[in-house]
Amino acid sequence: MKTNESIPSSFRDPSGFLFHQDGSIYRQVNIIYKENYDYLIKSGLYKSLVNTDLLIPHKEVDIEYASSDEAYKIIKPEPIQFISYPYEWCFSQLKNAALTTLRIQIKALEFGMSLKDCSAYNIQFRKGKFIFIDSLSFEKYREGKPWVAYRQFCQHFLAPLLLMSYRDIRLNQLLRVYIDGVPLDLASSLLPFRTRFKFSLLSHIHLHAKSQRYFADKIVNTSSRKMSRLSFTGLIDSLKTLVNKLNWQPQATEWTNYYEDTNYSEDAFQHKKQLITEFLDKINPKTVWDLGANVGIFSRIASTRGIQTISFDIDPVAVEKNYLECVENRELNILPLLLDLTNPSPSIGWENQERMSILERGLADTVFALALIHHLAISNNLPLYKIANFFGKICNSLIIEFIPKSDSQVQRLLSTREDIFTDYTQQAFENEFGKYFTIQNFVKIKDSERILYLMIKI
Amino acid sequence: MLRKERLKCFSYLTILVILIVLFYLILPHMAYAYLDPGTGSYILQLIIGILFGLLFAVKMFLGKIKIFLKNIFSRKKKDEN
Repeated sequence: MKTNESIPSSFRDPSGFLFHQDGSIYRQVNIIYKENYDYLIKSGLYKSLVNTDLLIPHKEVDIEYASSDEAYKIIKPEPIQFISYPYEWCFSQLKNAALTTLRIQIKALEFGMSLKDCSAYNIQFRKGKFIFIDSLSFEKYREGKPWVAYRQFCQHFLAPLLLMSYRDIRLNQLLRVYIDGVPLDLASSLLPFRTRFKFSLLSHIHLHAKSQRYFADKIVNTSSRKMSRLSFTGLIDSLKTLVNKLNWQPQATEWTNYYEDTNYSEDAFQHKKQLITEFLDKINPKTVWDLGANVGIFSRIASTRGIQTISFDIDPVAVEKNYLECVENRELNILPLLLDLTNPSPSIGWENQERMSILERGLADTVFALALIHHLAISNNLPLYKIANFFGKICNSLIIEFIPKSDSQVQRLLSTREDIFTDYTQQAFENEFGKYFTIQNFVKIKDSERILYLMIKI
Repeated sequence: MLRKERLKCFSYLTILVILIVLFYLILPHMAYAYLDPGTGSYILQLIIGILFGLLFAVKMFLGKIKIFLKNIFSRKKKDEN
């Protein structure tokens, strides 16, 4: 047995767990899960799901890698570039993740298996598509037994999607508070009254919540109650139809027409794009994080060059538009995610270790901070030394745009607040960032007062 | 109220009545076993599953009729050509 480090996100399931060893991720399959694991492979379900890009492929490796005596097999799943969480997804991302889960459940049933858990954290983004990453979530389907993951599906997917669609798009943030999905009684009370007149919604949310409350303190004999296969399939089909029909029409926000509403001329815009391209050619990074990416115009300069790019923005409309463009053009190297940089995703769950904070999930090769710094410094009162310190922690190189006070966008920000930002100057900016980075290049963008910098970490 | 809306309202009420009847048919038989936070989800599935199962069966049946009719019409068109 070798020494290894178990991953804190996978301790709940007795079927097995994930662990790190020699820089790779492995999954231990415990003896308790032997029958189901063998059935997953022998029934052909594993092959079918992997071939349709629904399940992460894995290789069986030497049992010597085992972490405990309970090990039956050790598998090495294909690594995921970047782990993202449901509270960082836009509406269509959560919807597609839900549909992927249901597609897997329908396929599993065809092979005589069923999902035993339906956590949204089991779905990850790989090569432009959502994929299921927990190979130990399948169990043999037992005729007559209801779907054990039904409650979890409703809490992790259905409730937040309905709240986003019927009430407010920002309610996906409830997933950050409730790690096991939105409680159904909460969803039921937040949803508009009219949702009680839709039969599927009435059943899956409102009656579901009532039923949970009614039986919470009751002793019930469930063994004599059976659910036919037709009912089981009907339930899944109803969820699929409901999720498929859900939509959200983004309203215009202050950010969505940002590029049409700036002081950039076409020349300036093209020049900025050209400079970013030149800087990228110089540093040739493997990964890029574009912070404040809006709809991802500049992120695509990196992603179309084959660089794994994450396109973060605070605005759900911008992220939605960015994601829909990715889907339409089948883009493989870009992942749009929701992120409020002034309050980024924290580490949550048991011992604050189950779900990682954004900073624990990676260090980007290169960070883009384009038309961002004035929002941090002026709108959020962040001193330049704190901003520089933060960027110094998250990347090896930085493509950053300095927007001077004379810029009309900064003037707009200052129009309603007192100018207490006496330190917000180009000199101070260079001094503070110079503590962590070497300035490799800086160019004034044509037809504007803005300056684009290429910085390399000291 | 339009005829279509009235029909919709009637079918909705019928489903609701069936649901309530099923709920009460099952409830009195509750015996003793285990307590679990998922019990409510478990019981609800048994009840609504019956209805969703029936709806699914009707959906499949209508789907088959659609395909059958499509085949007949496409055959007719082919014959005419």
